[in-house]
Amino acid sequence: MKKFLITTAFAAASVGAFGGAFGGAAAAQEACEGEIVITEMNWASAAVVTGVATFLMEQGYGCDVKVIPSSTTPALASVAETGKPDIVTELWINGTPAYGKLSEAGTITTLTDVLLPGGVEGWWIPTYLAEEYPELTTIEGLLANPELVGGRFNQCPEGWGCKNTNAGIIRALDLEGNGFEVFQHGSGETMATSIASAYENKEPWLGYYWGPTSILGKYDMTQVDLGPYNEKNHMCNADPDCLDVGMSSYPVGPVKTVVTTDFEGKYPAIAEMLTNLTFTNDQMNEVLAWQESNNASGEETTVYFLTNYSDVWSDWVSDAAREKLAGFIQ
Amino acid sequence: MAVYDGLFRVTGLESWCSSGGPNEGPLTMAELIARANGTQVEGAPAPSVPLMETPFPSLDTLNKSCSSIPRSRDMTQAVEEGFLAIKDPLKVILDPLTQPLSWMLDWSLDGFQATPWFIMIPLLVVIAWFSTRKIGVTVLVALSFLFMAFIDFYDDAISTLSIIFVCTIISVLLGVPIGIAMSRSDTMQRMTIPVLDMLQTLPTFVYLIPLIFLFSVTESKLYGIAIILYAIVPVIRLTDLGIRLVDKDVIEAADAFGMSNRQKLWGVQVPLALPNIMAGINQTIMMSLAMVVIASLVSAPGLGVKVLAGIRNLELGVGLVAGFSIVLLAVILDRSTKAALGRIDSSVRQ
Repeated sequence: MKKFLITTAFAAASVGAFGGAFGGAAAAQEACEGEIVITEMNWASAAVVTGVATFLMEQGYGCDVKVIPSSTTPALASVAETGKPDIVTELWINGTPAYGKLSEAGTITTLTDVLLPGGVEGWWIPTYLAEEYPELTTIEGLLANPELVGGRFNQCPEGWGCKNTNAGIIRALDLEGNGFEVFQHGSGETMATSIASAYENKEPWLGYYWGPTSILGKYDMTQVDLGPYNEKNHMCNADPDCLDVGMSSYPVGPVKTVVTTDFEGKYPAIAEMLTNLTFTNDQMNEVLAWQESNNASGEETTVYFLTNYSDVWSDWVSDAAREKLAGFIQ
Repeated sequence: MAVYDGLFRVTGLESWCSSGGPNEGPLTMAELIARANGTQVEGAPAPSVPLMETPFPSLDTLNKSCSSIPRSRDMTQAVEEGFLAIKDPLKVILDPLTQPLSWMLDWSLDGFQATPWFIMIPLLVVIAWFSTRKIGVTVLVALSFLFMAFIDFYDDAISTLSIIFVCTIISVLLGVPIGIAMSRSDTMQRMTIPVLDMLQTLPTFVYLIPLIFLFSVTESKLYGIAIILYAIVPVIRLTDLGIRLVDKDVIEAADAFGMSNRQKLWGVQVPLALPNIMAGINQTIMMSLAMVVIASLVSAPGLGVKVLAGIRNLELGVGLVAGFSIVLLAVILDRSTKAALGRIDSSVRQ
């Protein structure tokens, strides 16, 4: 009796498994097997990008997604050594030498520019200062009036690519000879806080910053005109060993969505969706400004984007996924 | 309609609630999904929540039923606005109090960096010898500094040494009196212990970032305060412990001899508590070194900068070697201070 029951149980289970496999094969076009690992970088715009991507993968393609908080260098190091995470979102490739190496080796594939035109980097002063002294937005005006901007240039922390580039521009302009003190911050947090502190006290501030970020969304800053982009000078500035520095503004920093080559082969439909997933700088700035004014979390900002830009993201997904997401499109 | 509507109906607070204005909070993901799946329609009564999923009556949950109750984010926003409101008067009080710390750190750094290496390293070795009188420790000090200078870490090591030097001196100068005061009064001990616990566990960045609003980020007192607030705790605790642990019979004997309180303190209690106080000073130095990397996050110079650069650039070697140099500094300071303070302590027989 017991043997009969066990055999029947096995038979039923195997029939069930086969049936499930057949049924599953039909939907394998869109279904995900296994877990997809995606990074969430530790800055505001990355939280939105990862949130939207995760939402679309889970609700539209039925995937099992795991979100890993990370930042640029550890994410690439992990991909290089372990092949996980599968998706690295918002990779700022300027000043990331590992990116070039991994691309050549074929470990990673670049899908798209997730931010268009990309990262805006440069030297900024508060807008209230620029309105009072418009000459400070030019290099000549800046060099002639160090005391008006507080006599200090806020330099990037050690270990950031911009530190070398700024150092090159500073040498080319002889900023220190013109009465400026170059203060190197210890971390990005102190840079952001110094902007906030100066803005709250309506004090002058001059330094490097990048966007799209919450700080530039919250505080109105004006860029200093560093002149045209000169590739030779910029490349030399970025290289700490190159001595032949010269003036150049920052080019638009490409921000890419990167996946492992294995992932692209395994989930071509998802890779295609991620290739379509792009934001313009204006869209991202608007979303981040909304986040600041509403003290919203990353998740709420993602929801804000999903509800207010449904015409934008509904074009990113495949037809089958769009049907599943019909309830969210307005 | 939300879970706790009934509560406000029953207590008759509905009119107060509706005066709070419409509930305009941002949508969460759960609400979005519920709305899209048709399980939540505008205006209709929500399906009853199963008992096991009753949410805690938190600010956010209560806000859904009663919009006069502020949300949690309104509370954190209020804390932020409160701080921004008091920061100007706070700055007027704290700035002059902490300015000497900035001066000491800056002078010490200038002094250490201005001294050429062929004076500095022998000077450190000589100081090590005369304070410890131990060959082993002196040789260790000499070899460590020669090694760090050889691998181009001399400037960073000296900068870190200068910061630790100043912060430890201030920690001891402030900490030992506080510890003595604590040992004489149980009330003060009860009040101080929670403060000490907080200093050791409160994440440093939590109070450092607001401090940047008060002082400029270029001031060295930022990292000085960070290190001192963390490192002062062991010396306070162990001074208090050491004095309290002095044998009651000895105190009684001192009383019998007619010693005044001050004579008892400096003649009996402190000398007998010296092993514990020394352990406290030793731990203070160790904890100052532990804070080196966090201090570098707020722009302190030294080995912490190299560690951070190594981490950010994924140069594992740089990070490891810089970290090892910090360990080396810790070891030589530990051995030197133990040997030096051991010579003062009469209870240790060589």
